[in-house]
Order: sequence, then C-alpha cells, then structure tokens
Amino acid sequence: MSDTAYPDAPRIDAHDKVRGALRYAADEARPGMSHAALATATVARGTVLRIDLAAARAVPGVRLVLTHEELAGLKQPGFLMGGGYGFQSIQPVTSSRIAYRGQPIALVAADSPEAAAEGARLVRAEYASEPHQVTLDAPEVDIVAQADSPLPKPMFADVTAGEADTAYAAAAIRITAEFRHPPQHQNPIEMLSTVAEWRDGHLTVHEGTQNAEAIRHGLARQLGIEPARITVRSPSAGGGFGQKNSLQAHTVLAAEAARRLERPVKLVVSRAQIFHDSSFRPASRHRIRLGADAAGRMQALIHETDSQTSRHDFFPTQYTELSARLYGIASFRGRERLVRTDVQTPGYMRAPYEHPAAFAVECCVDELAYRLGQDPVALRLANDTTTDPITGQPYSSRHLAECLRRGAARFGWDRRSMEPGSMRAGDGSLIGWGVAIGAYKAATAAAIAKLRLSADGAVTFSVGGHEMGQGIRTAISAVLVRRLGVEPGRITLEIGSTGTTPQHLTAGSWGTATTIPAAEEACDTLLRALEALPSRPSPAERLRAAGRPHLEVEVSRCAPGQPDAVMGRLTSGLPAAIGPAYPGYVSFSHVAHFVEVRVEPATRRIRVPRVVSVADCGRVISPRTAASQLRGGVVWGIGAALREVSEVDPRYGGFLNADLAEYVLPVHADIGTIDVEFVDEPDPQLNGAGVKGLGEVAMVGVAPAIANAVHHATGRRLRELPIRVENLL
Amino acid sequence: MRPFAYARAETEAAAIRAVSAGGPGTRFLAGGTTLYDLMKVGAEAPERLVDINALPGLASFDTGGRRELVFGAGARMSDVAADPRLVAEYPVLSDALWKAASQQLRNMASLGGNLLQRTRCAYFRGGEPFTCNKRAPGSGCAARDGIDRGHAVLGGSEACIATYPGDWAVALVALDAVVDVAGPNGARTIPMEALHREPGATPEVETSLARDEMILRIRVPATQLGRASTYHKIRDRESYAFALASAAVALRMEGEVVREARVALGGLATRPWRARDAERGLVGQRLTAEAARAAGDAALRGAQPGHHNSFRIELGARTVADALMIARQRA
Repeated sequence: MSDTAYPDAPRIDAHDKVRGALRYAADEARPGMSHAALATATVARGTVLRIDLAAARAVPGVRLVLTHEELAGLKQPGFLMGGGYGFQSIQPVTSSRIAYRGQPIALVAADSPEAAAEGARLVRAEYASEPHQVTLDAPEVDIVAQADSPLPKPMFADVTAGEADTAYAAAAIRITAEFRHPPQHQNPIEMLSTVAEWRDGHLTVHEGTQNAEAIRHGLARQLGIEPARITVRSPSAGGGFGQKNSLQAHTVLAAEAARRLERPVKLVVSRAQIFHDSSFRPASRHRIRLGADAAGRMQALIHETDSQTSRHDFFPTQYTELSARLYGIASFRGRERLVRTDVQTPGYMRAPYEHPAAFAVECCVDELAYRLGQDPVALRLANDTTTDPITGQPYSSRHLAECLRRGAARFGWDRRSMEPGSMRAGDGSLIGWGVAIGAYKAATAAAIAKLRLSADGAVTFSVGGHEMGQGIRTAISAVLVRRLGVEPGRITLEIGSTGTTPQHLTAGSWGTATTIPAAEEACDTLLRALEALPSRPSPAERLRAAGRPHLEVEVSRCAPGQPDAVMGRLTSGLPAAIGPAYPGYVSFSHVAHFVEVRVEPATRRIRVPRVVSVADCGRVISPRTAASQLRGGVVWGIGAALREVSEVDPRYGGFLNADLAEYVLPVHADIGTIDVEFVDEPDPQLNGAGVKGLGEVAMVGVAPAIANAVHHATGRRLRELPIRVENLL
Repeated sequence: MRPFAYARAETEAAAIRAVSAGGPGTRFLAGGTTLYDLMKVGAEAPERLVDINALPGLASFDTGGRRELVFGAGARMSDVAADPRLVAEYPVLSDALWKAASQQLRNMASLGGNLLQRTRCAYFRGGEPFTCNKRAPGSGCAARDGIDRGHAVLGGSEACIATYPGDWAVALVALDAVVDVAGPNGARTIPMEALHREPGATPEVETSLARDEMILRIRVPATQLGRASTYHKIRDRESYAFALASAAVALRMEGEVVREARVALGGLATRPWRARDAERGLVGQRLTAEAARAAGDAALRGAQPGHHNSFRIELGARTVADALMIARQRA
C-alpha cells in the first residue's frame, strides 16, 4: 500500500508543543495532592544500620516518611531481561541493602515539593560500608563471560561464523586496536515523574514512559493486586531514549505513598537523582582484530567486549550482533563479557550496542583503508553484501551502497584528498572529512489495534505505541489520512495509555514497523467491512447512508515468524518483539554518515560544521519527523563522540557530574548543518507498508565518522570517547 | 529547600542595615542565579535574604565617561554585554559577558553577583559524601585526589584547588578595575585584583568583602587598551560551559611593537589571575607568534598540575598566545 512516497506533513502535536499546551505527567495536579521526594544513599555499597527520621518528620508539611522498615512487604519488580518488568531486579527502599551510591533509602511526602525535598535532605542514615568496584579497571573486578552466564541462549550466545582466528592469522593485512566508551546518561528533558492516584481501589499512574504495560503489570506484581485495577497514562513522554523503557524504581514508591496517604502523590525525581535512579549506557571496551587480503577484501573480524553491568543483574550485551553484519565478512568471532560493578543496572540508551560497536569497527575499517591506500568509501562499497554472514540468509533489503553513493555525492567526497592534514581552512584550521556506516536491526513487535469510524467522520485508532517525541502520532496519522481520506484534525489516537489495546514497549526502533502495518491492516479490515454498505464517495458517508453511528474493527498481528503464543506476552506487559532474523531473511536499517571536522591549530577545539547522512529505513511514512529523528541521531552522535561522559570517582562510586551544567550535552552552538536524505525504498518482505526502523540507526556510525574525520585532519587515531581538546594538544 | 525569610530593601542604607543586623545567616540577593542554585544543592543555607534589586540606580551603567566606565552592580549581564560602545571599544569586557553562562542566565544575573559566583567544583556542590574544606572547613579536599580535570593549576593550596569560575572578573582584573563597596562602617574602594582571595588554609573565605558589605558599582579606567582586546575562552562546548582556559588580553601597539599589555587568566586559577610576568615580557617586543607563545608560557609559569588537569597548562599558554594575536588584529 506504500507504493508511493508519503508527502511532507507537519508534526501533528507541534503546535501544542510550542504553546506549552501538551500535558506531561508532571503537569498533572489534583486537589489535596501530596508531593514526594527521595532520600538517597551516600555510600557505594553496604547496609543501612540506622535511619533517623526525626528531623525529616519535623519539617512543617511533611505527612509521611517511608523507609525499608515500612516497605519490606513490597515485592521485587523482576528484571526486564529476566522475565520481570523493572530496569533492574531490585526495588530500593525494600531492604537495608545498599547496592550503589544514590540508591533511594526513603521517600518523604509533604504538602509542597519544597517541604518534601527538605524532609528528604534531613533523613540521616548510618551505614556499614563494604568494598566496592565501579570501573572496568577496578582491581580484582569480577568479569563474567556472557556465554557462561545464566542469560538465555541462543539469544546471548557468542556470535560466530567461519574460523575467524585462523583467517585472521592468515590475513595479509591485520589491524588490531582497543576502543573505550565511557558511561553516559540519557537526559530526556522530561524528568522521571509520576502522579499516582487511588480511587475506589483502582490505581491510576500518570508517567511519561515507553512501556505503559510494563508499569501496569510490574506495579500489579509489586503491590500484589490485579493488573485490571491499574491504569497507566502516558499520552506523551518528553523523550525516552531507552531510559523510560521499563518500570522505574520510583513508581511503586509514589503509588504506595498515595495508598497510605489516601491522596494523590506526585513524585518528580530530581535531575541529579536521575543519574542514579534509572539506567544508563554502560562503560565498555572493545578489542578488534580485522584481517583483509591485499586487495582490501575483509576476511576475518574478531570483536571482544567487556561491558559494565551491575552486581545484582546481568545486563546483557549484543555488540557483536551488529559488528558481525556491517560487511560481508566470512569469518567472525565475537566474545562478550560483563564486568560486575556496584552501580544501578545499566540499560538501553539509544543505539545501545550498535553505537559503541560501530565506533570500534568503523574506526578499524578506516585504518584499513589507510593501510591499503584505498578510498574509505570505495573500500566500504567493495565489502558490501546482500547475504547475512551469520545466518546465510538474504537481507530483506539492504541499500547501504546507495546510502554511501548518495551521501558521497551530497557531501562532495570526491574533493577530499587522502593524506591526513592535507586540507586546511582559511583561518588555519585543519579540515578533516570522515565517513562511517551504521546499521540497526529492523525489529517488529506483536500488536493489537482498534479502529473506529464514526458517521460524523471522526476516526479513533488505538494501538500499542508510545509518543516520546519521535513522531509516532504523526506517522500513524499519515497512514489513516492516506487510507481513509480523513482530515488529521478528525483523528484521535489512543496510544501510550493502558486500557484499550496492550501498550507494548516502544523501543528498539520497532515503533513504526509495528504500528504502521497494524494501522494498514485495520484500515483494510474497516474498508472491507464498508464494502457491504451502500456505495458513497467517503467511508463516513457510507456509514450514514446505512444508518450506522459507527463501525469498529479490531486486528491482531504477530510479527513474521512469531508464534500466536506471543500474544500472551503482549497482553501481560512483557517484550514481544522479534528481529533481525526472520524466517527466510534478515532485516536491518542502514545509514552512511559523512562528517567534516575543523580542528583549531593551537587550542585544538574540534568543530563539526557539517554532516551529511543518508538512511535506508524502508518506506518513510512521515518525512518531516523522520528527518528530525535522523538529525537528532546525528546530534546524539556528536555528543557521544565529543562531549558526553558520566564521570566516576572510584573512591565514592556513583556519578559525579550529575547535572546538565557539568554533564556536557551538545548545545545549539555546537551543531552545524546536518543535511539528511532517505533512500525511501519500501521493504515489502518485512511488512506490507515496507517500513523498517530509524530512531536508533540514525546515531550509529556518527562517532566513528567523527573520529575518522579527526584522523584525516590530524593524523591521530583516537580510540577513546569522548575526544576532547586534551587528546589533540 | 530550607525555609528562609525574604525582604525587599528600598534603599542602600536599609539593605546594609538589614544584612548587618540580621547576623551571619543573612545575605544580599541580586539576580539569584548563583545563590538560589547553591541553596538548592545545599551548599548555601541562608536564613534571611535581603533583595537589592529594587535599589534605585543600582542597575544603571555608563560606558561613555572620558575617565572611567561605571557599571552599577545590579546591571544585568545581557544588557551590558550588548552595549554598542562596549562592543566596539572594550571587546574584552563585552566578550567576557557574552561568553558566560546562557542567555537566560545572563538576562537574570547581575554584574556584582557575577563577581561573587562560587566554584563549580563537583565535590563542593555535591555535599555528602564528599569532603570539602569550603563547605565544611577542616573536613578535607576530595578534589585533590579526585576528578580534577577542571580544577585550578594556579593558586591552589593543600586545602583547596577549586577554580574560580567567572569570566567577567578576569576581564576586569586585566583592565585594573576597582569595585566600590558599602557597609555599616561606610564606603570603600577595592582594586578588583584584591577582591578575590587565594584559598590558602581558609578556602571558605573567598573574597575580601565583609558579609554585610555590598558591591555598589564597578569602575574601569577608560583606556585605549580596550580597543585591541579580547576575551578568549576555551571550553568543552561552544556555549553554556565554564572555561577550561581563558585569557583576557588588551594591548597598546605602536606598529608591530607592544607598548603596553594586559594579560589575565580565567578557568585556570583559584581566583582571577593577572599574569604580570607575561605583560612585562611583551612590552617593547614585536608581537610575533613566538613572542605570544613566550607570553603564554610566562603566564603559566609555576602552574601545578594535579592528576587529570596537566593539559590545561599547555592549553592555557596556547590560549594566551591566541588571545594576543586576536587582540593585535583589533589594534
């Protein structure tokens, strides 16, 4: 049905956003509502011995203080990757154990946010401290091979193909290097915030999330009540980026406080606390060995990783799922290990594995190009493939070469001179041009959708999906507009809130590939049902002619290859997604990034005046929000490559620079021109709409393109992020 | 947030009386961009605030005087930064304001309050579990063996290596500014360079102001040096970041030869840092790249690196050298 390109259409919530009219969870206010704040642990590991609440309780307006002594009865949420719902397995404030600095130890609820914060500040705890380890290099740190861990196989088994060690040893050209990526934190502008309200035994939770169903079912488990007694509302979240992909630690605390106070409770986690109260991108290191023949045909790749996890959970990694597939390399060996540290459990921050993996591999590919004296774009084109090297299956679509060719043309790549340091700007700055590619699995989740057409022409559509700002509402609208001929203003989208259809996790770039085919199928079903009614020019007129007030259809879709049983997971708030391997084929989105950097001659500041990015994400449903997502991904890549690091002082644990002044995200002045283009070729094998994912692949490859550009400018290979002035002085 | 009392003063005398009589927990409040922030992180806990924003004339400024430029302590950073005469004739002053903070903060922050901005040291701001001699005198300095990438390489002590974060004060120090202050015992004038103190053994004492003394105005001698000047700031991003290294530079040139030079450093020291050795070395010299670099080296002479900040000694020298070349082009 998507055989023609979609037109550019405005973001449907843009007007509300710029007027501040869109409501987020923290905007909710109720008569008699209490405000809650969290007190947090100051030790990196240990046990709470005593907790003194007298001063906190004495603050005027404080109504309730909850510690582990009151909340020991709350159940644990279970870990998202272990059959549960939480970003980590442990629920703070249910025991005296302290697993990391910054872990909440008490909740204080009061009549005002100020009184709650003051009460939380006055909670005094005494601890028995224990030795802790918070870095990959900590002495005697516990390193676990993922293949030997309890994580499920084959999902988290080591990825292998061919005889990589033998092929590498025999290769004419061998590149070996180690790369390091620091811990980094998502900082969505919307804080973690919850308003919890009980009415007649029914709990309503307002919280910006990517996974309303997990909050609902996770809370039900924690509180010991039926999921039917819980509603979670998240019509709009102010950015997610993986931080809001599961049940947060603070949510049940707000719910429990509201239950005990018999009044609504609002809990907004402070920015500093967010650095310790939700997941983050773990520190990782990557050892790469890349072998090629003398002509530049890549023959072997070995990718060994160490990635930070918490002591209480194995946050699995899949760095090699990507690195094995960037090129048609016959022999591959991956080995992924987890380093157990005393932190909250890390998690899925935008392009969680693909961005660090692409950084490591794509820098080595650039190094190979220089070893061979080959143009970096030509080398990449020569190593492209149409067959997945791991499964031997074909790709459902792979337009990587097209991304590279179009990007090179747009960027003016043919004017690049190969020699490092050979291009200079008028002000004496060194100019560097770098390229790198990225890919991201094209995953799909199961979905149930309901479509209702009223005789007055209004359309209501519900499907599992969350709007975090990426534009999913605009994309779904575009399909309904095209298929039903309805005006955008007549469409009501019920997404992000539980109750109508299961609100499955929106993550992993599967939002569009999940909701758009469901919307198409619902439209097909509705239009078929209308066939039985008198013929009129528009669907609404047919309803009116038949005297029907409305027509409603429901569709239920498994992704290709999913068993029907996956619907049980969908309706119980568990992940129900599949990909990249489908029966008979493998699906990925692809991207090529071209970056210009300028390095100041003396003080060595690195600027990124322009980036050209061309993506293959299948059919583009919403060109405007897609372009915005791609540009946003590039900005993330610039931040990850040149700015962001969550600083760790090993003596204290936790994170040091826990605010937006000191955690250096890019600002507008850091961002130059970002010129984006889409191949916009539908992938009909993956789904009828031909859509793959975009949000994550957008970021993959930006960091290595920058690092490669820095090499082109300076001759320096920098293998640890972020790259800052001190690395070039 | 701890409860505090708030009062708005109508006159200078009433403001000073209120702060003086109020005792140690009473503080002046101007733009609030530093004080409120520090109150939120618990580094400041005043009991009473005396708001001086309504004081008549405090926000006025005059950049047209033949002998001196006069800036009321209550003038907003953004208003002064955009002053056309300052932009044209004293770019070092305008640049220093433009390159500080963000537009929103500059719209709120006052010139006098900006001088008194406290350090961004994460251990100072973080409170428990970190030790900090500023926050709890005698408790120790967590920064000395910690993440000290942003900490001072000049003017530090065993007790404290926290960097003075401001930009405006650095430019003022370069131009021999003075501050007029008033307190219960009358008015006095303090050279800018004497306003801030090195930490020594008492890092909690950051300035030579008494608690109940209020900055009324800042005066800058009118000078031809202003024209050939710049505030060059190197930081981790292009806006809304504190300096890794900065240099306020002003020159009086005769042809290629430096007749007079001013050099001050920001972001590198525990207070705004005038680099007189660098200035002396430049006078009478042709301003070549080599001479500029030598001035940079002289400015950083004696710098003491910690664990993660030694690069800022080299960066500081290069920043001074680049600043001199930028200023020269404006001569």
